[in-house]
Amino acid sequence: MRILLVEDDALLGDGIRAGLELDAYAVDWVRNGEQALHALDSHSYEACILDLGLPGKDGIAVLKEARSAGDRTPVLVLTARDTREDKIGGLDAGADDYLTKPFDLGELQARLRALIRRTSGTARPVLEHRGVVLDPSTKRVTADGCEVTLSAREYALLQDLLSHPGHIRSRAQLEESLYAWGDETGSNTVEVYIHHLRKKLGADFIRTVRGFGYQLGVEG
Amino acid sequence: MRSLRWRLLAAVSVAVLLLWLLTAWFSYTKAQHEAEELMDGSLAQTGRLLLAITQHNDDDLGKLASRLATVRGAADNVYEPPLEFQLGLGDGTILARSIGAPDLPVLGVPGYSDILRKDGSWRVLNVVSGDGRHRVQVSQSIGLRDRAALEVAGQTILPLAIITPVLLLLIYVSVVKALDPLNRLARDVAARSADNLAALSREDVPNEVGPLVAAINRLFLRVARALDYERRFTADAAHELRTPLAAIKVQTQVARLSRDRAQTARALGQIECGVDRATRLVEQLLRLARLDPLNVLPDPQPLDLLSLTEGTLANVLAANPALTQTVRHELPPGAPRVCGDADLLGIALRNLIDNALRYTPAGSSIVIRVEDEEGGRVCLCVRDDGPGVPDELIARLGERFVRGRDTLAEGSGLGLAIVSRIMQLHGGRFSARNLATGGFAACLCGLVRAEPV
Repeated sequence: MRILLVEDDALLGDGIRAGLELDAYAVDWVRNGEQALHALDSHSYEACILDLGLPGKDGIAVLKEARSAGDRTPVLVLTARDTREDKIGGLDAGADDYLTKPFDLGELQARLRALIRRTSGTARPVLEHRGVVLDPSTKRVTADGCEVTLSAREYALLQDLLSHPGHIRSRAQLEESLYAWGDETGSNTVEVYIHHLRKKLGADFIRTVRGFGYQLGVEG
Repeated sequence: MRSLRWRLLAAVSVAVLLLWLLTAWFSYTKAQHEAEELMDGSLAQTGRLLLAITQHNDDDLGKLASRLATVRGAADNVYEPPLEFQLGLGDGTILARSIGAPDLPVLGVPGYSDILRKDGSWRVLNVVSGDGRHRVQVSQSIGLRDRAALEVAGQTILPLAIITPVLLLLIYVSVVKALDPLNRLARDVAARSADNLAALSREDVPNEVGPLVAAINRLFLRVARALDYERRFTADAAHELRTPLAAIKVQTQVARLSRDRAQTARALGQIECGVDRATRLVEQLLRLARLDPLNVLPDPQPLDLLSLTEGTLANVLAANPALTQTVRHELPPGAPRVCGDADLLGIALRNLIDNALRYTPAGSSIVIRVEDEEGGRVCLCVRDDGPGVPDELIARLGERFVRGRDTLAEGSGLGLAIVSRIMQLHGGRFSARNLATGGFAACLCGLVRAEPV
């Protein structure tokens, strides 16, 4: 899951990024509005965390521009302003959720999960397919009740596939979801993680669609 | 006497009453005098009439005399005090007299005279015929004459007496009504509060009060601005603190959740940074808050710019052991002495140098100089060869929480607000400009030279 973090404050941005990476997200961190718009344009993100108090182009302006350009990335807005007008303004400009600083990291993570859950259309917080259950809040994965141990990348890959049931995810899409800028990728690594997942969850759990990508194996 | 209304009323009433009294007295005496003259005139006419009668009837006066003697006026008319008469001959013989005539010789001095006696005073007119053969004396009781004269005078000033209370009442009503706009104004001002500092309406305001209303409205504007500033400052300050606090909180939670020691150590280091930053911000806020209520420098002294600069530089170098820029000063040994507060100017200079360090790239050169200003004042300037500040932001640099450039650097946005305030207290100003040769100059200007010791 790839997240765009738009935060100009060095310490806060660093903290949020570290916190989200602990939650197995890949985080792209930009520090002003222009860079944010550029990033939203060039990559697809599961969600965006947007600080309203940015230098130059402020958060509301970024939000409005992105929304009118048709961007539908779920946005959670961070701000130091907690007046009623600010809350309404943020939500009306196109934000999906709102947190005032200072906030609890756990709350941020939970709201993020809810946002992502909402947009992927799954009502249940827990992702499930053919007996394999992935709980985003605890990051536990079980297969038929038995605990399965996955590396961070494997977990992220599984979560991506489970979040797009029925869709074919291309290698490029999977790479985009798994890796932030500056992360090193080898060209084979998606295949390697697929291979590891198949070993742990069953060979036909993930189906290869030649020329297109991967998808979850049919229920059966 | 503090009431405008009563002052006006008192002044006008006293003036009116005084004038009234003056007029009344004047009219009174004049009327009295004229009445007397009137009565004298009638005395004279009667005297001549009687003389004419006497002259033509002196041998036949007997019957006429007895009839004449019964002539009396109307007793109840104050304007007809009885005319007493004596008719006589040139040798003093009295031919006829009225009943009440005073017992006086008919050979008195011709003309008017006042005979004052214990049993009554008389106004007497003695008339002599041309040939001296006949004499007439007419007289009126002075008491009765006075009564008549008094009546005239009284009637003359009666209208005045009636009018005066009416006049005073009218004056009172007019004054009260004229001062009514002031009452309305007072009610208007009383209705204003910290939440409602709208300007007073200029409608229905008398011209004389116009300047007062204008001044009050200007005061309202100043107070509203000050209150607004304070509200914004408090809101901004709280707001500015939230981000540093959020950073500390997040880093703390990251430290808790960290899986390895390196991550934890790093997070803890970030927490410490965050606390330092928040502390600096709070210090700046406190400094600014302490400077706010001051109107003048608490204790201006002559101070030496050279030692101030060297001291501040030493502090900067001690606090920043790993400087990547060069910082030095170009103050000559004969650098001017100025009037001011050494601590505050030191803080101001320190803020300027810190800004220069924060906003210039590694390897930049920062120089502190003294520049002369017109009017014999001096500027203490911190020049750097860094990127400067975009022109549209330069004007706003002294405002609170406005940062000159990208907020990547850890400034609080308050340093220059503090510098501005300090310079304001010194009677000078903070001035900044991009240099034509490239670079930036931030100056403490308007410093007053101290008299040489």
